[in-house]
Amino acid sequence: MSRRKPVLLVAVTLALLLGATAQTAAAGKPLSERIVAYQIDARVDAQKKTIDATETLTYRNLTGQAQDTFPFHLYLNGFQPKSTFIREVRRDHPSFEWKDKYFASAEIKSFEAVGMGDVTSQIHFVSLDDGNADDRTVFQVKLPRPVAPGASVQFKIAFQDQLGEVFARTGYKRDFIMGGQWFPKVGVWWQGAWNCHQFHATTEFFGDFGTFDVRLTLPQNEVVGASGEEVSSINNPDGSKTVTFYGEDIHDFAWTAEPEYRVVTGEFTGSAGPVKIRLLMQPGHMKTAPRYMQALKGTMRLFDRWYGPYPYKQVTVVDPPHGGGRADGMEYPTLFTASTTWWMPNGLRLPEDVVEHEFGHQYWYGMVATNEFEDAWLDEGINSYAEVKVMSALYGADRSGLDLWGGTAGMAAVERWEYRSAADQDPMARFAYQYMNDSSYGDISYGKTATVLFTLEKIVGEETMRRALRTYFMRYRFTHPTKEDFLKTVEEVSGQNLRWYFEAAVYGTQILDYEILKASSDRADWYLKDPPEEKKGETLYHTNVLVHRKGDFIFPVDVLVKFDDGETIREHWDGRDRWVRYAYDKKAKLVSAEIDSERAIGLDKDLFNNSYVEERESGARRKLSAYWLLCTQFLAQWLAWLV
Amino acid sequence: MSDANKILAEGARRVWRYQRVLWWLFIVNLVLAAFGTVPMASRVGAVADHSLHSQSLYQGFDVVAFFELAGNPDVAMWSKFSGSVLFALVFFVFALFLTGGVLEAYRAGRKLPTGEFFQACGAFFWRWVRLLIFMLIVLVPVAILAWAVDKWSGTLASDSPREKLGFWVQLGGMLLVLFLSMAVRLLFDMAQVRAVAEDECAMRRTLTRAFKLTFDNFGSLFWLYFRISFLAWLGLALALWIWVRIPGQRVGLTFFVFELVLLWWIGTRFWQRASETVWYERRASTPSAIPEPLEMSPSTAAVAPPF
Repeated sequence: MSRRKPVLLVAVTLALLLGATAQTAAAGKPLSERIVAYQIDARVDAQKKTIDATETLTYRNLTGQAQDTFPFHLYLNGFQPKSTFIREVRRDHPSFEWKDKYFASAEIKSFEAVGMGDVTSQIHFVSLDDGNADDRTVFQVKLPRPVAPGASVQFKIAFQDQLGEVFARTGYKRDFIMGGQWFPKVGVWWQGAWNCHQFHATTEFFGDFGTFDVRLTLPQNEVVGASGEEVSSINNPDGSKTVTFYGEDIHDFAWTAEPEYRVVTGEFTGSAGPVKIRLLMQPGHMKTAPRYMQALKGTMRLFDRWYGPYPYKQVTVVDPPHGGGRADGMEYPTLFTASTTWWMPNGLRLPEDVVEHEFGHQYWYGMVATNEFEDAWLDEGINSYAEVKVMSALYGADRSGLDLWGGTAGMAAVERWEYRSAADQDPMARFAYQYMNDSSYGDISYGKTATVLFTLEKIVGEETMRRALRTYFMRYRFTHPTKEDFLKTVEEVSGQNLRWYFEAAVYGTQILDYEILKASSDRADWYLKDPPEEKKGETLYHTNVLVHRKGDFIFPVDVLVKFDDGETIREHWDGRDRWVRYAYDKKAKLVSAEIDSERAIGLDKDLFNNSYVEERESGARRKLSAYWLLCTQFLAQWLAWLV
Repeated sequence: MSDANKILAEGARRVWRYQRVLWWLFIVNLVLAAFGTVPMASRVGAVADHSLHSQSLYQGFDVVAFFELAGNPDVAMWSKFSGSVLFALVFFVFALFLTGGVLEAYRAGRKLPTGEFFQACGAFFWRWVRLLIFMLIVLVPVAILAWAVDKWSGTLASDSPREKLGFWVQLGGMLLVLFLSMAVRLLFDMAQVRAVAEDECAMRRTLTRAFKLTFDNFGSLFWLYFRISFLAWLGLALALWIWVRIPGQRVGLTFFVFELVLLWWIGTRFWQRASETVWYERRASTPSAIPEPLEMSPSTAAVAPPF
């Protein structure tokens, strides 16, 4: 087939699509600025796991100044032993061993700037983040003459990919191919400079919005899914087929292919119209398909109601095969990968949680396209917070993560657990690749951020928080907002100056930990040698409750004090001093004193010291002791088997 | 009733008749485990007893709250595990010590006076230590096999086109390892039975003879051993089935159910021992080979109550 035919076909189909596309038809203009327009024609060798492709990139220079140097990502080169990515993996995991099957590469065969000639010789790799001369994940190309502001430039790039066995997000596993970050991708002009970081072990991606017109030629037995929508599929005489996808107002393009996929379809109708759901399932995972579908529809419904519309016409869920878990749980525009196993029990809500999280990224990353190199918390953290809210609404707050054999876990607690693991290691506002290590990156950008936002609810209220996120989404969708854009939106919507909180929670590493240091009731007539018998309601007591701020994070707290006559007193403390004492003279004894009785301050690192109950409640101790005792008994009995 | 069933029935009868030793072992197990639990319980109590947050562990079982408590520096729960292991080892030594007396009681078919019982315990203790060393040596290749199966199945689970192949290999490998472990245990059980029956001091010789005996009668002996093991595991499975249906705060009921299982496990293990002894008596021993009961001084035997 000649190149002209598919181009014509695509053009006609696109015209039809555009006419039917609600988001463009209604407003008469695109949803995003569409700075880039990628046309990629790729031939996939499913046996050798190689891709030979030509890419035509049209770049609109909206930088406000003439540009003669353009940076590009070549992410696949990160999977090489001397790359910065692998170097950082080894740094954080000294036992990591390189295997040749991980090797991947993206090689530029030719690079032409249309109207300026071949500039392949002008390509040179740069390593501005760490100076690693062996890292080949970013290259720059200098043009013979600059591109004027407002003008466009077209690049024609021929490149070849060698995929590796999936190591992180992209690659192959047996017949499964996940084509993510596979093409030369131009950097983003952001905040007055090019933003094109090297590929790091803890960084994800950043790209400009635009259109993607991608033709994939691969064996006819492959079942294919990709970002955007399938426009056409044509069988070629050589036994291959060419599948064309088109996506608009997206900033990345990923695809997947595997002969074994089983396709399950569904539909969700939201405020922006119907959305086609396409699940690409592994044959052995079919029983998880209803769980994926239910979680996805529930998530889409709540996101649509809470934050705003999903404007695309399709979403594709990819179910990676066994052994391909490193491709699990990754988001791309209008497509994401899920996670399950053939034995997944119903009470373990991993499939639901991953689907929820990755769909959430369609908003926090897909549309609100923050810089994942520099502000990872803005997409992962806000998304993790939304995940807690959605999962709690769908499955119950205290068991949204786990409800199995009597054990439960809510997602808020899970996020808080992550935060506690690295609470003071890094501030949220730190470049993703500058965190102490990959654990800290995960714990802070996901867990701490979710917990910070959950705690923020305590200050501004749940409904205000929801409005703030909706405002943030609607205002900044299809743009690249900064951390301050987000923080100022919350302040604006809440009508509060929250700098005191953001300085500690977002920009700082202070620990928040309040405790009831001491609480007791003492008889007022304690000094009598022969005091009268204690009588409820008649004997006078001095009650003291001492509240202590253990950490350096100052946060106002409520203290609930209960007495045995049923009276409850709620105290409010601004938390500025190191401690506060509440004293009462009452004809009632203390029952309990509790800080944050609503358990809204998730940032409090230790919840066990938040309360004091006068009457010992040994239920938990007895239960744990019983289990411990039983475990010891069985251990002893198993050992005795050797006798 | 078949011979095998008769042996099992006689074995059960002897366990029942000498059940006092079973109860003693159970109580010692419980007491030692309690010793191993006290440090953990006191630390947990110091943090949890006066905290409302601990209710999430009592009313249900909040897994995250549990890990938060376990990781609390004032609790440091996992560091207390070594105490439990220590007491488990003490129980192991105690059980090793007791085995001679138990087997002697089963062999003699009569109630042993306490002194006689403990004399048998002491008489065989170091023989059992020697046998234990041999057994650990024999178990090394089994452990290597278990490790290899685990590694192989892990590779298959990741790389094989058939998703469940790794699981089936793991399951098959586990069954094979279980079978080999049971066979090894059976061999050393028979060595112990023979050592008691023949009052054999040379453990290498008794092991060699036990090997021949077990090898020649493997089917019947293994079937004997396996049936009782199966019942033991069935008891555990039943307890787990009940446990997931018990409300979280019914700690006492949970404890009671698993204590029953533990008692059942100790009982079934004794049942195996008694049945093996009966089997040996009926199939392998000759009248002259059965030793007389161990000699006791009259005063000791008279004072000590029957065990």
